This record gives sequence, structure tokens and C-alpha cells, in this order.
Amino acid sequence: MAGAPPFPQPSGLQAWLLSAEPNSRWQARFGRGYLGWRSFTNNPLAILGLGIVVLLVLVAAFADFIAPYSPVVGGDLRTERLLPPSETFWLGTDDQARDIFSRIVYGSRITLFVVILVSVIATPIGLLVGTVAGYLGGWVDTVLMRITDIFLAFPRLVLALAFVAALGPGIENAVIAIAITSWPPYARIARAETLMIRNSDFIAAVKLQGASTPRIIMGHVVPLCLSSLIVRVTLDMAGIILTAAGLGFLGLGAQPPMPEWGAMVATGRNYLIDQWWVAAMPGIAIFMVSLGFNLLGDGLRDVLDPKAAK
Amino acid sequence: MKRLPKIFLSAAMVATMATSFTAVKAATPPDTLVQAWQIDDIITLDPAEVFEFTASEIMGNTYERLINYDPKDVSKIYGEVAESWSVSPDGKTLTFKVKPNKKFASGNPLTAEDVVFSLQRAVILDKSPAFILGQFGLTKDNVKDKIKQTGPMEFTLELDKAYAPTFVLYALTSTVASVVDKKLVMQNEKDGDLGYNWLKTHYAGSGPFTIRDWKANEVVVLERNPNYEKKTPMARVITRHIKETATQRILLEKGDVDIARNLNPEELAAVAKNPDIEVESGAKGGVWYLGLNQKNPNLAKPEVRKALKYLVDYAAIADTIMKNKGEVHQAFLPKGFLGAMSETPYKLDVAKAKELLAQAGLKDGFTVTMDTRSSAEVTGMAEAIQKTFGQAGVKLEIIPGDGKQTLTKYRARQHDIYIGRWGADYQDPNTNADTFAANEDNSDEAKAKPLAWRNAWDPGPLTAKTRAAVLERDPAKRAQMYKELQQSVLDDGPFVVFLQEVENVAMRKKVDGFILGPSFDTNSYAQVKKN
Repeated sequence: MAGAPPFPQPSGLQAWLLSAEPNSRWQARFGRGYLGWRSFTNNPLAILGLGIVVLLVLVAAFADFIAPYSPVVGGDLRTERLLPPSETFWLGTDDQARDIFSRIVYGSRITLFVVILVSVIATPIGLLVGTVAGYLGGWVDTVLMRITDIFLAFPRLVLALAFVAALGPGIENAVIAIAITSWPPYARIARAETLMIRNSDFIAAVKLQGASTPRIIMGHVVPLCLSSLIVRVTLDMAGIILTAAGLGFLGLGAQPPMPEWGAMVATGRNYLIDQWWVAAMPGIAIFMVSLGFNLLGDGLRDVLDPKAAK
Repeated sequence: MKRLPKIFLSAAMVATMATSFTAVKAATPPDTLVQAWQIDDIITLDPAEVFEFTASEIMGNTYERLINYDPKDVSKIYGEVAESWSVSPDGKTLTFKVKPNKKFASGNPLTAEDVVFSLQRAVILDKSPAFILGQFGLTKDNVKDKIKQTGPMEFTLELDKAYAPTFVLYALTSTVASVVDKKLVMQNEKDGDLGYNWLKTHYAGSGPFTIRDWKANEVVVLERNPNYEKKTPMARVITRHIKETATQRILLEKGDVDIARNLNPEELAAVAKNPDIEVESGAKGGVWYLGLNQKNPNLAKPEVRKALKYLVDYAAIADTIMKNKGEVHQAFLPKGFLGAMSETPYKLDVAKAKELLAQAGLKDGFTVTMDTRSSAEVTGMAEAIQKTFGQAGVKLEIIPGDGKQTLTKYRARQHDIYIGRWGADYQDPNTNADTFAANEDNSDEAKAKPLAWRNAWDPGPLTAKTRAAVLERDPAKRAQMYKELQQSVLDDGPFVVFLQEVENVAMRKKVDGFILGPSFDTNSYAQVKKN
């Protein structure tokens, strides 16, 4: 609160949120949340990142209303192929005479699908492996961390490529492959956090009260690891998008004619000199969304990471 | 402030460097032809083993074959090393006379001994293209008796059946029948390998050029053969391996290379506008087709096969995605072959296709997969076909994969539809008839696996007809037989042939005399001049 400007006349709600003596746990939680939001909004870049991500979600949700053309069925090959950006085709058309703008709009669904699914699959795995290893220690720790080491030893894209090659191409398999390759860092972070927490007095107190190991891990260790993990996952989302695009670029992600951004860049590569928009437009989309997630993750870290607090 | 002059200095240096680079006029030497080409497929320089596109062309320019044909008119066969030949009355023995006074680049004289050695060597080594000679009943064990030298400049070739002479002669025009320098090769023999390991990277021929150097994925250098009767205008031909087509285009536009070989349709259209560059195209012996696996119950219905032939927009694909790279063609024999059909009875006709599908009991269409190599042009064609299939309710799912994956699946008959290219192995119509219209054994354990087998298609009487066609000695009758075979496959076969491949060469205007032949080994730079 030291750096925050003084409030001349705190309104009722604000006063309730900022109360130094909250009446309930809920009030305290809301108060902390409000403070976090205030410091988050102080960072204009983080707001920009949040804006991009919100925009991505909105575009994906309302793709049917936003996109003027079908993303899959192209126009007349003879007359509407590889047209430059114009009033009718805002971002031009590709080699199959499809509107690139519509494809990017629908492609946002695939991007969002990949990002959400990967974080839903990878985060719990990483969290569980990390906290269990950290809390139990001993041979459990050794075994789990060596497995993590094995996964970390391979470059991520190469490992994902191998998995996709084994599972067969397709967006679902790409998601699984990316998820399999992205949990190890989360496990490492969760373990490091757990090691700091496990000898704390409050854990000892819970233990003395007779709480079981699973209960301590799930109820007391995991919640404390969550914030740093959320930051890491958000920062990683840019990487996930790039990996998915990379797989698409190599023809192992989405199946044609799905409007996957990476696959769109791959097609555009053949027309790079004369029809630059075919590759540039989806490239810009990938860049914008990755940047958005990065800025958002950065902002979240400032808020959530207790060590970075002022 | 002390730093500032340094910045100015470096800026000035960069500026002078940049301008001096543009000031240097990039040009290739007048007696050297430089071409940019993807040559990563070369694995050997031994004519008994070469079966790759690029290496075949190099063989064509550096070795002489027993027989050759006029690239402008394939039906005109002439002797390259052979002076004359005759066929015995029973049609089973051919006698060849070798041209006198021919010399290899090494200076050794070329005699019948060399020709006999070359043919025997190809059969004995038994590499990929050896079957072209093997189909006449020549094997490792009998070749020494079947190909016999009968005089210093004369030898005989004995066949197991009375094949059509055109069939035998066309087979002898392929690179596997190139004449190698026996003396030179045998000097480099090790452990009875007939010089195989040495010739992989060396040269022992008599063609217009000699191979001076080959560095894998880097460069091939050909040099004028001083002993060749018609001296080549170019002293040297340098082929640089340039992987990216955009780079090839830039090099060509700047004049760093004289010829670019792999430009894509859009790049060809762009360079064609350049006044210093011209584009030459020629139809090649490759066809693009869809293979419909007859193990799929839907595709096995004759009406469905026919309906799918009406669901490809042949003209639009040839005019846009494959502009300059392919022309509409629907018979399995490419133009330029004996008996090739150029009629194109099918065109996109959704109403007719729907009618045929309804007759097959599939009024609402069906779902089918297509294994597609994920390269730009194949995916582009696949997506265009997916779109037109969809108009009649046929939902096509594209399964992308790399070339090896899709081909392995295809060879194991595990696909629904396969989109691919088939290149003729030699210049006789039997090369394609044998694979598209013949299938001796349709069981999973079959020994011979032609395209008909890969698509689990039993062509019935067509197999016997294909076998009869190679024995027909009258060329006109033979051509008619191939026409009938093509018509049958066109009507009912599980192949939707849609394009014939066209090769393009973009070159600087001053380059003159480049010949684009009908097959990959007949592209010739022997008489290329630079004005």
C-alpha cells in the first residue's frame, strides 16, 4: 500500500474491500483479490495482454457471426485465388480461394482449444508429480524426478514430433503430444515450492492434528503451489501455441482443410515473395496471441508471485 | 561523443560494401552453363543402378546407350552406339552391329565387348532398374549365355519369348543400357564387384560430357568430353543444389545461374514477365492419379468409381494449382507413348455423379479417407478434390503424412484413397500397362505388386491382354491393343488419372538449345549455346 495513491473518500464497497479488519474469510479474500487487481491494472502492458486474450476468446466464441465466408469451402479457383487484401477479402485469399480473414477467425477456436486442453491436461499432472515428489521425498522423489529428467532431456518440439508420428497426425494427437511434453517444468516448480513449504510450522501443526498425507498434499500444499504454477502456465501458453503451429507447419497438426494457423503459414511459404499475405496474416495472428499470453503471464507474475512483491 | 565517428565509419563501410556488391555484375562465364536444381535424390552415378530423376538426366548427358529415340518424336528409334540391328525369323534373337571408330572419354575404343559387358553387368548387379532387362528372361545365371559377343563389333541378344521388337528396343533406350568402359571399370574392380563401388562416384562413359565431380547435396560438375564426335559448345555444366525455390528464382533473376529447374507455378508466372528470362515446358512421362482401394466396400462399387471420376475439377486444377506443372490427362499412358490416348471424357459433373451414387445406394454420400503426402502441391490438389467431392456428399478426410508413411500404407493396401504420381520406368507402353492394367495374383501374399494389386483390383481379362500386347509385332496393332486397355481402365478401373506432369525450365534468354525430352533421361544440354 505504500506506493498507492491515497483515497480522498473511499466509497462503501471500496472501504469494505480495503478494510484492515475483515469480518469474514470471504471479505479478506475479496480484499486481497481487489488489491491484486489494482496492482494488475497499474501495469498497462498486462492490460494489453489481457485485452488480446479476451479478444481471442470473444472471436472464437462468435466466429460464426464475425467470419464473412466459410473457412473451409473456397471460392472459384480461377478468379478468387491468391487475391491481395481488399474490401471484399479483408486479408486476401489463399491458394484454395478461401478468405484468409475467415480462416484466421475460425482458426482462433483451434488455437484456444489446444491451449486450454494442454493446460488442463498438463498442469494437474505436473502439479501432482511435483507436490508428491517434494512432500514425500526419498525414493519417491528420486523416481519421479528422474522420469521428469528423461522428459526434460529431449527438446520439446522433437519429442512432440515423435509422439505425433507414433500416434498419427491430427489435432487431438497434437494436443496429447504437447501435453506429454509440457508437464515436466510444472512438476519441477511444484516440487521446489513444496520443498519450501513442507517443513513449515503450519504443516507440522496439521500433521499433529492427524491429517493424512493425501489430505495435507491436496488441502495445504497444492493451493500454495498454484499461484506460481498459474503464472508459469500462462507464460507457457505462447510456447504451446508455437509448438502447435510448428506441428501444423510440418503437416503433423491439424488435418487439411482445418484453418490451423501453423498449417496456413506452411502453405503460404510457397507464395512468400509475390503473395506475402498468405503467410504473413496467420503469422501475425500467431505473434499477437503469443505476445498477449506472455504479457498477461508477466502481469500475473507481478501480482501473484510473493517474492516479486514490492 | 568519442563513439560517434566510429558509428559513422562503420555505416560508411557498410554502405560502400552494399553498393560495391550491387556494382559487381553477376554473370556466369560464357563457356559454362550453371543451373540451380534440387539434386538431393542422387545416390549413385553408376548407370546400372541409377533410377532417380536427377541422376537419370546426368546419365543421359554423359553416357551413350545402345539405342535412343528422337526426343521430338518418340516413335523414331535410332542407334546411338548400335549401327544396325536385325531380328531373327523366330523373333527371339536380336543381332546388333556396333558403330566403328567410337571412343570412350578415357581414350579406349568402344567395341561390342564393352556393350556386352555393360548389359551383363547391369543384370548381374541386379539393382533397381535391372528388371527392365530382366523382363526378357535375363537372369544373373543365364545372362552370359543370352548376351553373346559374336565378333569384334557384333553381338546377339537372346530373349525367352518373341517379344515385340519395339518393346525390346524401347527398353534398351533406358539408362540401364548405357555403355560403360569395360577396361577402365575392370581396372577399378575390387573383390569381384564389377567396379560397382568405384563407379558409384566415378565416370566411365562416352557421352557428350564427362562427370568431373559430384558432391552430395552440393554440386555436380560436367566437363566436355574431348573424344565425343560432336563437340559440345559448353566446356562445363555446373549444377548447384539449391533447395528453396524462392532462392532459385532470385539467383536466376540476378544472373547467378542460367537455369532454374524447380520453380513453382506462381514463381514461373512471375519470372515469365522478366524480359531476360524465358520459360520452356515439356510434357513428361509422369501421371497424377487417385488410387481407389477395392477393399473399401463403397469404392468397390463400379458406380462409385465412375462417380468419383466425375467429381474432380480437372480443368480448374490444371489451370490454377498445377498451372504450368500439369495438363489434363485421363488415360494411364502419358502422351508421347505408343498408343497413348489423349481423349478426356470426364469433367466435373456433380449432377451425374449424384445420379451414379444414388444408383449405388449411396444417395447421401459416404465418408472416405485419403492418404496425402504433406507437400504443398499434393495437399493443394487434395484440398481441391476434397471440395468437389463434398459437392456430391462424399466427405473426404485428408490424412497428411510424409512420403514414406503414405507410400508404406499404400504398398500394404491399407489406404482408402491414395493420391500420387506414377512415373514411367522406360519409354515403352508396357511400363504403365503392366502396372495399371495387369494383376496376376490379387491375394495379400502376391509376389508381383503392381498398382492394380496395391488397390486390390482384379482386372480380369485385361491381364492376359497386357501380356499379349508385348508379343504383338505389328506396331499399329500393338498401339490399338494399348488403346483398348486404356479405355477399359478409364471406364471401370480404380484409378482416377487426372494430370500428366509437365516439366518447366526457366532460363536466361541467352541460353539456347536446351532440349526437354519426354522422359527424365532425355533432357539434354549437349548442344546448349550461350549467345
